[in-house]
Amino acid sequence: MKPIRALGRRLRGNVRLTVGLVLLFIIVVIGALHGVIIDAIGKGQDPTAIGFGQRWLQPSPQHLLGTDQVGRDVMAMVVAGLWTSLKIGALGGALSTIIGIVVAFFAAYRGGWLDSLLATTTDLFLVIPTLPLLIAYSGFASHISLFQVSVILAVFSWAGASRTIRSHVLSLRTRSYVDLAKISKESDVKIVLFELVPNMLPYIALGLALAVINTIFALVGLELIGLGPSGIQDLGLLINSSVQNGALSLGAWPMFVAPIVLLTAIFFALNLINVGLDEAFNPRLRKVAGA
Amino acid sequence: MAVAETVAEAVAKTIRLDDITQVFPGRLGTKVVAVDHVSFELKSDTPRIASLVGASGSGKSTIARILLGLQRPTSGQVTYQGKDVGSLSRSEYTTYRRDVQPVFQDPYAIFNPFYRVDRIFWKAIRNFKLAHGRAAGMNKIEESLEAVRLRPGEVLGRYAHQLSGGQRQRLMLARVHMLQPSFVIADEPVSMLDAQVRRHFLDIMIDFQQTYGMTTLFITHDLSTVAYVGGDMMTIYKGQIVEQGTVKEVMTHPSHAYTKLLIDSVPTPDPNDRWKTRVELKDGVPRIVPIET
Repeated sequence: MKPIRALGRRLRGNVRLTVGLVLLFIIVVIGALHGVIIDAIGKGQDPTAIGFGQRWLQPSPQHLLGTDQVGRDVMAMVVAGLWTSLKIGALGGALSTIIGIVVAFFAAYRGGWLDSLLATTTDLFLVIPTLPLLIAYSGFASHISLFQVSVILAVFSWAGASRTIRSHVLSLRTRSYVDLAKISKESDVKIVLFELVPNMLPYIALGLALAVINTIFALVGLELIGLGPSGIQDLGLLINSSVQNGALSLGAWPMFVAPIVLLTAIFFALNLINVGLDEAFNPRLRKVAGA
Repeated sequence: MAVAETVAEAVAKTIRLDDITQVFPGRLGTKVVAVDHVSFELKSDTPRIASLVGASGSGKSTIARILLGLQRPTSGQVTYQGKDVGSLSRSEYTTYRRDVQPVFQDPYAIFNPFYRVDRIFWKAIRNFKLAHGRAAGMNKIEESLEAVRLRPGEVLGRYAHQLSGGQRQRLMLARVHMLQPSFVIADEPVSMLDAQVRRHFLDIMIDFQQTYGMTTLFITHDLSTVAYVGGDMMTIYKGQIVEQGTVKEVMTHPSHAYTKLLIDSVPTPDPNDRWKTRVELKDGVPRIVPIET
């Protein structure tokens, strides 16, 4: 498709976007290879099982990041947690972006009473205080799956992106090129997909990146205060466990530092992609930044 | 050859506004009447340029949008070939869409910044089945570009921001040329162009009217361009058409105070001949009063 080829053309020479994408790619590859890494550490055994090694071992060739309070290999825990965090981020982020986009486009392109209704709903969701709700919810839900967590996080996080996208669609749909497309007998679906969406890509990508960050950090926040859904072991749970068990004072700093470095790297990569995409898709910025 | 064909196959077409009123919601529940019981007709059997002259906010652009089917009027009827535009059959709608084409004011905004400018041509070719295959389509595009004196190599494959305002507006005319509509609705097409490009544009517009028999509604606030293109003119004031006639008649014997003011407002290249009057509204009736100094 043309938009994809255009994307490839614009990637060249865009340092921020390239660095962001490469960094994200590396993180995702590490996460995706968690099975291989865990096997390599365990050598037939499960390195995340209690009593795999001795307690509180310092980093060594056998345990690159040491072991935790029950002898589990921290490296194995980190890559497994990373993958869980990434999955929740991707799932929750994608879900919330999709909800946001659909609501925004329906509201803004159709207009009228539907817009009023959807815009009010969006504003309602925007003012719902998410954290107390999530805390209350996790008090009830004992065993919830990764998918359920993503859905819950998505339901409370789509509104912000939706509002931004809606206001942009409202402005874009009155552009002459939309009128011209109508006069050229283009269907509404095609106008939305090929005239509006390409121009919205930076905002959609921005919304997606923010939603992924929000989802990951919402769960990390819950885990950190010890209210995360049980059964889900993400990077936040690891940080919580290191704080709970005083890993830092026992010299087991990797258990604390490794998840934080990874979370920071995810944040950094997604934000670079954000800024880079804006440069890539905004033809006026491109002229300046392209040099 | 192509010209002879279009003229020969041209049947008399009519697009008609019948008692059109357009009301927009204003601030705090007030209503803004943009167009107030306007009726007029454009016919293609005697191709002419009809100018619609009025100030900003007088409802000119709304009339253009209504004619183009982009805006549904609050009341009144738009008829194409005697049928309401809202109740045309599928094939009639296609004909109407192709037969009434715009030239917009802002020649930059008509191009989606995401795509190359070629796209506006290909979309028209595809949706109105103007040509089959890439080569035939390309031929058509090049032919139309040459008709507006653009070199295909200089404009095709570029983005709108890489072209000049004159080039962009002529691309729009090339699109009109390609579609060969009976009616062209040109909404302030030259207000964003400089004087030389403006004349060039108007010449092409006149050429289209004479060569291809396109009836043009030329919407403007600038009487000097109206005098240049000739034909008929209508003056619109506060959503109402207050004066109608040939350009010659109206220019020499304007009957409405507002038209008089417009004619007086055309600047003359003489520093000693500054404007000495201004328009004043009293109970909705415009009056010309001297400027106090």
